[in-house]
Amino acid sequence: MTADLSRARLESGEVLVVERLGGGLLELVARLPHLAASAAPGSFAQLRCGSGTTPLLRRPFSVAWTQDDTCGFVFEAVGVGTRILSALQPGDPLDSLGPLGHGFTLTSDGPVVCVSGGLGCAPFPLLIGELRRRGVQDIIVLNGARTATRLYPAERFARPGPSVTVVEATDDGTRGHHGPVTELLVTALRAQPSALYACGPNPMLNAVMSTLTGTEMELPAVLEASLEAPMGCGFGTCLGCALPMLDGDRSVWRLCCTDGPVMPMRDVDWMGLSALPGADVA
Amino acid sequence: MTALAGDAALDLGRGLVLPNPVGLASGTAGYGFELEQLIDINRIGALYTKGTTVAMREGNPPPRVAETGAGMLNSIGLQNPGVDVVATEFARRWRGWSIRIIVNIAGGSVEDYVHCARVLEPVAEVSGLELNISCPNIAHGMDFGRDPAAAARLVAAVRAVTGRCIVVKLSPNVTDIAAVARAVEDAGADAVSAVNTYVGRKIHRASGRPVLPLGTGGLSGPAIQPLALAAVAAVSAAVTIPVIGVGGIIDAPSAQDFFVSGASAVQVGTATFVNPRTALDVLDGLEAHEGRRAVRRPSDPPTS
Repeated sequence: MTADLSRARLESGEVLVVERLGGGLLELVARLPHLAASAAPGSFAQLRCGSGTTPLLRRPFSVAWTQDDTCGFVFEAVGVGTRILSALQPGDPLDSLGPLGHGFTLTSDGPVVCVSGGLGCAPFPLLIGELRRRGVQDIIVLNGARTATRLYPAERFARPGPSVTVVEATDDGTRGHHGPVTELLVTALRAQPSALYACGPNPMLNAVMSTLTGTEMELPAVLEASLEAPMGCGFGTCLGCALPMLDGDRSVWRLCCTDGPVMPMRDVDWMGLSALPGADVA
Repeated sequence: MTALAGDAALDLGRGLVLPNPVGLASGTAGYGFELEQLIDINRIGALYTKGTTVAMREGNPPPRVAETGAGMLNSIGLQNPGVDVVATEFARRWRGWSIRIIVNIAGGSVEDYVHCARVLEPVAEVSGLELNISCPNIAHGMDFGRDPAAAARLVAAVRAVTGRCIVVKLSPNVTDIAAVARAVEDAGADAVSAVNTYVGRKIHRASGRPVLPLGTGGLSGPAIQPLALAAVAAVSAAVTIPVIGVGGIIDAPSAQDFFVSGASAVQVGTATFVNPRTALDVLDGLEAHEGRRAVRRPSDPPTS
């Protein structure tokens, strides 16, 4: 099936600010009117990093939030592309292709649980804003990171509007629960959420799924994760971003860029996903 | 004969006339259904489809792509739905398109290629075949491309079952690309496209292991443009059939380099991933050149 790319557009925008949040987390804010008007929660933009031939490929970023004609992106300077983005100055051009990808299934019924690990916070502010517009009041964010400085600031998960309940966890115990974010999950599930959305490193997502299937509780009707994969084009032509998904009992390749990046967690081949090598970042 | 690069039609023979010399390279445009939504695809001369095989192929395990300096490696493994889907469902969706559809076919045996050619022969929406004798990412993918005699046998066998224009996509991973080009011309090919990707390797420095699971992949992008130009110059000096230049084109000047080196048409590949409009920009740029700069065709005497 061919992806619906009818909303995707090339757009030349303008950087407003690159904000240092601490712990290496960066928030890029840019004027991109088309993307701001058409991004759905969970969708992403392919951003050009510089204008030369190295790095050659665009980089995919979740649209973290939109406000009027601006968009926010959360990332970390880990490779050649993100280092270029981190050095952008107000007024610099920013070339975007988007929105792309299949986003979250939106519910109108609370409660809703969002599980975020590290940079996995990126898609949640836009999602939470849209859930609010649909009348969902009871939103719990479980936000985990290695250490306190790397926690996405709790107040930014709801932008704009009243705050959501954010429960934090750090691997080193510098803030919130001392331990993996998945240890907060069982308590959150007692609220009997209608939807659970997750985004973070693959081992965390795997742990979320194991925790869910390990409980006696009924699983939320909507159970989705935003995944990632090394990507060539972002719009379904290069076939580079294959992810292992279940089709019945069979593991098949699906494209992160157009079948995802949001996938039903019930359909992910978690064994296959765990077996994939880590990202090649240089 | 002196022609202009952005000049309109190019007759490749067997009823295939490209409305303009700019095409979308195999493996970088799928079957056109994504790009159709992003650009005015029917302004482009030709779509060379994703490599298509007898049966559906699921492709290689990830990671399948890895970025390199001014380029990228891929190891997709010919993921495609199989020729029957292309000949029926996809052909229906191509109805009314003016971009010429040239189906790239691949296989592990002469019979595979012949089967694909037979299935596509009655399909009106298909204007030609591009024989992929140069895929570096499947077992035996390059066997035909490395051996002039084997390449010639393959072309002759497909020639026997099709009246369609046959383009042969040459592998650069050979000792003498001109010898392969001459062999396929003699066997009845109507044109050659040069070049497919170069075999390359990238190391994951944290682990010291190759990034791609098969160890190597196909290198494309602007990094290979000078290599592709050299191959096109060698091939166009060796054959009289049209040469379609492909490899690292990112804009009109980098496409113009191919015409100057003997190509009659070009394909835009990896650059489409970065900017889906690249082929249109190349076309517009070449047309802007018209009347200002004549471009040498293979039949003209060399200028250097």
